[in-house]
Amino acid sequence: MSGDHSDPLLAVEDLRTLIQADRGTVRAVDGVSFAVDRGEAVCLVGESGSGKSVTCESLTGIVPQPPAEIVGGSVTFDGIDLRAADTDRSAIRGARIGHVFQNPQHALDPVYSVGDQLVEAITIHREVDEATARERAIDLLGRVGIPRAAQRVDDYPHEFSGGMAQRVAVAIALAAEPDLLIADEPTTAVDVTVQARLIDLLRGLLDDGMGLLLITHDLRVVAALADRVLVMFGGTIVERGPVEAVFDRPAHPYTQALFDSYDGTTRLAERPSRDELPADGCRFRAECPHAVQSCAGGEQPGFHTVSDGASTDDHAASCVYYGDGYDAEVIQSAGRAVQQSATGDDDD
Amino acid sequence: MAAPSERPRFERVDWSAVDATRRTVTPERTILAVGLLIVAALWLYDRYVAHVYLVAEWAVAPVDWAVMAGLVVLTAYGVVPAVRNREATLRVASAIRDRPVLVAALCFLGGLFVVGTVLPLVLGRPELNFGYVYQPPLGFAADAGWSPNCAGEIRQGTGIQRYCEGSLQAPLGTNGRGQLVESLLVSGARVAIYVVVFALAFVVPLATAVGVTAGFRGGRLDDVLRTYVDVQLCIPAIFLYFVGYMYVGASLALLLATFGLLSWGPVARLVRSEVLQRREDGYVVVARSLGASDWYVARRHVLPNVTNTLVPAVVHLVAILIVAEAGVAFLGFSDVELYSWGSTIAEGLSPDRGTAHQVWWVSTAPAIALAATVVSLKLVGDGLRDVLDPRGEH
Repeated sequence: MSGDHSDPLLAVEDLRTLIQADRGTVRAVDGVSFAVDRGEAVCLVGESGSGKSVTCESLTGIVPQPPAEIVGGSVTFDGIDLRAADTDRSAIRGARIGHVFQNPQHALDPVYSVGDQLVEAITIHREVDEATARERAIDLLGRVGIPRAAQRVDDYPHEFSGGMAQRVAVAIALAAEPDLLIADEPTTAVDVTVQARLIDLLRGLLDDGMGLLLITHDLRVVAALADRVLVMFGGTIVERGPVEAVFDRPAHPYTQALFDSYDGTTRLAERPSRDELPADGCRFRAECPHAVQSCAGGEQPGFHTVSDGASTDDHAASCVYYGDGYDAEVIQSAGRAVQQSATGDDDD
Repeated sequence: MAAPSERPRFERVDWSAVDATRRTVTPERTILAVGLLIVAALWLYDRYVAHVYLVAEWAVAPVDWAVMAGLVVLTAYGVVPAVRNREATLRVASAIRDRPVLVAALCFLGGLFVVGTVLPLVLGRPELNFGYVYQPPLGFAADAGWSPNCAGEIRQGTGIQRYCEGSLQAPLGTNGRGQLVESLLVSGARVAIYVVVFALAFVVPLATAVGVTAGFRGGRLDDVLRTYVDVQLCIPAIFLYFVGYMYVGASLALLLATFGLLSWGPVARLVRSEVLQRREDGYVVVARSLGASDWYVARRHVLPNVTNTLVPAVVHLVAILIVAEAGVAFLGFSDVELYSWGSTIAEGLSPDRGTAHQVWWVSTAPAIALAATVVSLKLVGDGLRDVLDPRGEH
């Protein structure tokens, strides 16, 4: 691996992506900043439509343009500016940054066998003879937990179940040994055993130094894999921090609402869609039980370190209550209540 | 399989040790280049040294050169990929075997191809034989007074009426110039095969390329291509053919050029609308996320996924072109020396002896051949659409 190891593997600064919709322009990603280190798993959580997927797809520019348009910000991957016009992004995609998408059934081309598609993922970037690529395809299928991989490699996608197709999609993303894996709900359609196997696989890759940016609604997956958590709402990150800190002491009112809606089984419940988010100030203020006058106007509030003794380092929330002149205890006590009710329901 | 406790790990592949093959030289391109060079060399030889003959004094015409180049294209991008992807070919072949109708249609077209390409070279042109005109087919009889001689038995009818019976010398009968109908059928098959080869090698790739480009790239290019196709659809091919006819006379090359190059608009439109849907599909996004170029994605993922639409449309286009050629020939505006099925039908319908009904065999045989060809094409189009889809029946 090249690049200076003191820099993060991926650094995103103030990323902004607009999407032209029938009803007007949507600010799908609205000033998002974060970093992913080598061997680190960063998890994006948030309700559907909060901009998680668009954020991930904006990084390497695979978000369909139009209707989307990446209008600002910087994305630096291993010292390479991914937003620069002269950067060959297609040389990075797949080879160094792998993607796993939602809807695994649609991720596979129906006219090729899964083996062909794995071989393709390997050979797009590297000259490999057919036998080697095929051997590796079978190995990959076995690694992601496809039984009888040597036989299944010649099967077509329609002969695979949803869960198996999802594992194949993971195998395809990993085929070229990327340094960073961006995984959008990689474990939704698979059963618990396979999920554990996939998590094991990803842990092994993290130990080998791969970075992981994970979108999931499954808090157990977050707990099992993530080092750090980013909570997204309305195209912005409202809270960030180490997984224990965010789970134990959810600091932002939205995070608390999100965890409160967690039904204790597997997934964060889908929240009802909203008509319109506030265009300025804190995006969550219309629903926030603690909203005050200064939540309105200007940009999303800046990050304030959440200091409650235990959270030492970089647990931060985009909420005015953690700034000077407000009593953060108002929110933090609500957070503790959520946390207690969650652990009461769920033994994990 | 590894035990669950064992943490799965990837074996690291040393990519630099893996043998690198050059990607620019593919078997398809090699065959295409070699084949086209041979055709070009023959053409130069014909042009500047001595004439190349198909058989005896039968010189190679421009349309023959075009079809030879077309055969090279079809070999390079039809036969070679089929041989290279043996597994996919075998899968399609076994799916074809389950469909007797498709097998029959393919056999007919395969036979037609052999008959249309090989037999004219063996048999040469239909020979004139004014001594034996309007000989009836084997098992039938005709008025013996039409022909100076009768190849078969002569049977006495009522009064002065005498009948000439069919014989093995002319199993399918002869026309008004004593040409064997089977020989005319073979010549007509050659014309039909020329139309098929020209359409598949030049017209279909053009239609597909325009459709995929317009649909996949979109934007300004899409507007330009779409407008061009719309304009082209307004120009009747037959009008352009007649304009050319006034200058160069009857010519199959002219017919193929005008009808072929003005007829692909609907196919391009169809492909474009299908591509518009496919380009949003998950596997296209995945291929992009793997670093595939637009060209690669269009060729490898979009195109194979529009074959459901493309194959029947293309085969329909070929059938239309065959009928158009026969139609022009029927009207008498084609090269009579080629003996297209259309001109033979016309000839049988306006005989210089008897009535069209009395010399029915002259027009019926090519009409059956034409109908069987078009029906086979349609059956093959629908059948191939189904067997090419790995998901099987719809």
